Amino acid sequence: MLHRRTFGKVVLGGALLSQSALTWPARAAAAGTLRVAVPSNINTLDPAKTKIGEEYIVGFLVFSGLTEIAANGQLQPDLAERWTRSDDLKTWTFELRKGVQWHHGREFDAEDVLATIKRILDPAIGSVTRVNFQIIDSMDAPDGHTVRFKLKIAYAGFADLFSDRQARIVPRDRLDTLASQPIGTGPFKFKSFNPGDRIELVRNPDYYVSGNPKLDAVTLRIIPESAGQVSAIETGDVDLVWNLPLESIPQFKNSTSVMLDSVPTSTWDGIIMNCGLAPFTDSRVRRAVLLAIDKPALVEFALNGYGTATHTMIPPGHPFYNNDIKIGPPDLAEAGKLLTEAGFPKGFDITIHVPVGRPTRERAGTAVREMVKPLGIKVDVQRVPWDKFITDIEGKAAFSVDGFYSRPTIDSSVYPFFHSTGSWNSTLWHYKNADMDRVLDASRSTGDAAEQARLYKEMQILALQDPPGIVPYVINHVNAYRKNVQGFHSSPMMWLDLRQVTVA
Amino acid sequence: MLLYVARRIAWIATTLVVLSLLIFAITQMLPGNVAQIIAGQFATPDTVTAISAKLGLNDPYYLQYWRWASAVLHGDFGRSLIMERPIAPVLWEALANSAILASVAFIVVAVVGIGLGVLAAIRAGGAIDYGVSLFTFLGISIPEFFWGIVLILVFSRSLGWLPSGGLADPGSGFATHAAHVVLPAATLAFALIAHVSRMTRSSMLGVLRSQYVRNARAKGLPERVVILRHALRNALLPTITILAMDVGWLIGGVVVAETVFAYPGLGRALIFSIERHDLPMIQASILVIAAIYCSANLVADLLYAYFNPRIRYG
Repeated sequence: MLHRRTFGKVVLGGALLSQSALTWPARAAAAGTLRVAVPSNINTLDPAKTKIGEEYIVGFLVFSGLTEIAANGQLQPDLAERWTRSDDLKTWTFELRKGVQWHHGREFDAEDVLATIKRILDPAIGSVTRVNFQIIDSMDAPDGHTVRFKLKIAYAGFADLFSDRQARIVPRDRLDTLASQPIGTGPFKFKSFNPGDRIELVRNPDYYVSGNPKLDAVTLRIIPESAGQVSAIETGDVDLVWNLPLESIPQFKNSTSVMLDSVPTSTWDGIIMNCGLAPFTDSRVRRAVLLAIDKPALVEFALNGYGTATHTMIPPGHPFYNNDIKIGPPDLAEAGKLLTEAGFPKGFDITIHVPVGRPTRERAGTAVREMVKPLGIKVDVQRVPWDKFITDIEGKAAFSVDGFYSRPTIDSSVYPFFHSTGSWNSTLWHYKNADMDRVLDASRSTGDAAEQARLYKEMQILALQDPPGIVPYVINHVNAYRKNVQGFHSSPMMWLDLRQVTVA
Repeated sequence: MLLYVARRIAWIATTLVVLSLLIFAITQMLPGNVAQIIAGQFATPDTVTAISAKLGLNDPYYLQYWRWASAVLHGDFGRSLIMERPIAPVLWEALANSAILASVAFIVVAVVGIGLGVLAAIRAGGAIDYGVSLFTFLGISIPEFFWGIVLILVFSRSLGWLPSGGLADPGSGFATHAAHVVLPAATLAFALIAHVSRMTRSSMLGVLRSQYVRNARAKGLPERVVILRHALRNALLPTITILAMDVGWLIGGVVVAETVFAYPGLGRALIFSIERHDLPMIQASILVIAAIYCSANLVADLLYAYFNPRIRYG
């Protein structure tokens, strides 16, 4: 502290004589305020329109869902106290919690839920979760605290959809100001937003879980540069750095004031091989590349070890993960044989596209280049700006590295990617496998968990025999926090659950 | 003189109109479609169509331009597509933050740059001259983002004297606000001091060898008066031109410094809007930046006239 005071006297003291010259904003903040550093600007506060992790954090703190994914992956009640489904999995009834107050004082009821879903289904809103809710045939509210959905298809994971980031429940009388003055039922109330600088939230004293949240306020500060983030948490300008870049981790290995907390997620990077474009139209070529990839080595190279090798987006440790398949070393002999059968005995030349500014994917692309070299495949790594990547590469280039956030359910994590009619399949790799379609259709229309597990394990075998592309690993999510922060646990969904957190 | 000012302002207006056309054309050519970006990676085609219709993106370009330009003339920059709020308040606040940063940097550049330049000229060939050269070369040849990170590591992380970035918490005192400006302003100024000091040094050297300085010295005037009143006033003319050009540099540098120091100004507003294809926001930011640059040149020309009695515009 001494050197700060000295500086205050020498440099600032001349210009200013007030005592405030000698205190720092960091010290002056209220005792119960948690200051969090996030890297990107928050663009929208309207949960239906959120797209990036920083926006999900605000959506999670200010709003509630009908259901919620707990840290252990289990679905639990949030605004819905309980729910029932018909035997054909087509009618779902949610009973809503009574006495929940919106931040502007009105009581939450069934009409709010209907308005939220109606809004998500409106194409002009452009919500990314709309595609999930399009299975709704009709919905109504039998009474003020019950909502009922009739689905077009049998869908076992319907209650899980309500834990999704864009499906936070919004008030029907404040829809037009959600982007600038969001009103929710969540643990924190929106106070102010200064674009590019910070968002301030304050405690919601009427939160329906009594005694929560414990903090008085939360400030999210936008700090894009990782050197700035590291310096801010070391000097105590912030208490927590969300989603610490993997490159910054070593700096805190021996720190006594800053702790690291890491959790495996189902966020993944994918090596995309477009099944509609040569040479990947031949399943044997795709499988040859898969066999040449050393997944554990890729985890070390692309993620500095902060990830786990996997078969598909289902993370190891999940009950549906297929433990019977081992992730072994690359099998170059078998890969070479497959390539020869496919008519490429000497390999081929190809360009792999990686998005600029996604360092894990850039490094993965470089590693892939080296790993397929022994097969005679010569890869040229091309870095492409993100917006160009979305419009010109995804679904259009033959070979690329892409990546996707964890999703709330296994069905919504797998189906859109691997089913031939999946929303992502058509913009990624154009994959078609009748067995895969059958397995995925069956798993979403069974309510039996053991049967689902069996089907998803079969899915993983299929995805390795006739690969759509390669999901080499799932990424760990790492947060750094100062010692004074208590009760914090990183979430596999990568949002910040601050209801139990205190700062000393 | 009045006529000259009026003519210059008319020129600036014309420039801005042409620029606005260019800005509009360029933003239309950016890769990626706005509706697609808003709808995101998961978009279905009907979502994209609905958003395009809502935003009027299907109208002919001239109509879109006219809608935009006439609104701007009424002081309305439109609404941000992504943030869904009026642009003007966001932009003015960002501009105010940047203006604080840029003016502090500019004053430092002018004072330190001219000072070092004069010092180097008087002591030409000596140790001070070489020292100034070395210092300014370092500043000009190594990019801002590097100096920014070095300053953070030294003054914030190691010494703990200054905050590593961002704005001060609302309601904190002037000193804390000032402390948050020191590092980004120093980063910005460092590169530009070289321009100014080198230009001042060389024109100062020229003037010091001139007849009228010799006359002034022969009259027995004190050296201080010779340097400051006779030599510097004339030597400043090219420096003023450089300073006006530096305003352009400064705006570019602001983008870098604001990103490194998480400082919420115009530069970062521009970057965020480009990242998310927020067209109205991009157009408004670039137009404001262009207007600032044009005005800086006007001010430079007027100052030029003021300092140089031989120039009389009419």
